[in-house]
Amino acid sequence: MYKNLFKIAVCLAVILSPLMAVHDVWAGGDSASIQEYEQGCTYEEYEKTYLEFYGNSTNEMAEEGNPAELMLDDGKDLYNTVDGSKGKSCASCHGENGEKLVGVAVKYPKYDPAIKGINTVALQINRCRENQMGAKPLKYESYDQLALTLYVKSLSNGMKINVSIDGPARKFYEKGKKFYYTRMGQWNFNCAICHVKYSCKRVRTNLLSPNRRHGDHWPSYRLKWGKTGSMQRRFRGCMKNMRAKPLPYQSEEYRNLELYLTYQSNGLPLEVPGMRM
Amino acid sequence: MPKGIGKIKIRVPRKIKKGAVIPVKALITHPMETGFRKDKKTKKRIPAYYINDVNVYYGNDLITHMEWTIAVSANPFMTFYLKADKAAPLKIVWKDIKGGEYEKTIQINPQ
Repeated sequence: MYKNLFKIAVCLAVILSPLMAVHDVWAGGDSASIQEYEQGCTYEEYEKTYLEFYGNSTNEMAEEGNPAELMLDDGKDLYNTVDGSKGKSCASCHGENGEKLVGVAVKYPKYDPAIKGINTVALQINRCRENQMGAKPLKYESYDQLALTLYVKSLSNGMKINVSIDGPARKFYEKGKKFYYTRMGQWNFNCAICHVKYSCKRVRTNLLSPNRRHGDHWPSYRLKWGKTGSMQRRFRGCMKNMRAKPLPYQSEEYRNLELYLTYQSNGLPLEVPGMRM
Repeated sequence: MPKGIGKIKIRVPRKIKKGAVIPVKALITHPMETGFRKDKKTKKRIPAYYINDVNVYYGNDLITHMEWTIAVSANPFMTFYLKADKAAPLKIVWKDIKGGEYEKTIQINPQ
């Protein structure tokens, strides 16, 4: 009886193994099989093409007044609000004007041994609220969460992004890269085909950007959304465009991808909040 | 009032000469729902919610009045020109169709 069951199990495993392999691709960290593309254009070339194609209107608009900047006051209020069972606010540990958080955001996302994975600013805020304050975590992409993330990141504005991939973070960087180069969805696209291979080329009326400056301006106000959103909301939008199923916010894959993309922006100054089309 | 609505930023030049014509730029956060959009998940119509009345006061005078409709974008931004001939507060008042009233006052000090 048990022998038969075992046989059936083995058969099932053999039949299902190709399916499982497909599913396993995202989680795997094997970088040897990645076929890298040549960069389509540099960021300087892209900026030139962008000006010819769209003009400078978005930048002008951002100078006149970025609606996301108006969230900063709310973020600061939230930062100083006492919440939770331990009677603490963010300010009780990190200083009233966030003195102790200056220069912290440029090192994120980074490896955290406590969660055995990559930690992002938004995730760290929620972990702080749960563990240090005894408060409820804020819902991702909610107004409060974005305002607080924006405020914490804006404290490091103008500093150079300095994400480390040494040591244990290396494994997760490779996983992020693997995800970036994994074909998915009905269109069978991967992120890299647009943003590496065919950067500066056009998808209908859209100009494709190289990935050099994808990590330096989030959370960002986007005219298409009419709202402020995080980098991971953009990931979900991109995956919908590829006709793949979007993953939930702060899932392991997205955090690894955020590390990979932010590393590409290393050395650039952090400009939060950004404004994009 | 829902969060993130009615946040206002008004910008005027730093140094103003008396009698000069200056640009005034004002930004307010508002969803400006047209009433024609549907919620993708519930398939229900999102009720209209937009700013329909804007008044600008300079000192005690009403200097400009605007009637906005659903065609104005979310988070509307406006620019108008003002002859700065007196030291007086400049007040802008936005009113929306649900009875919300948002205002901000800045001081204009021409030299």
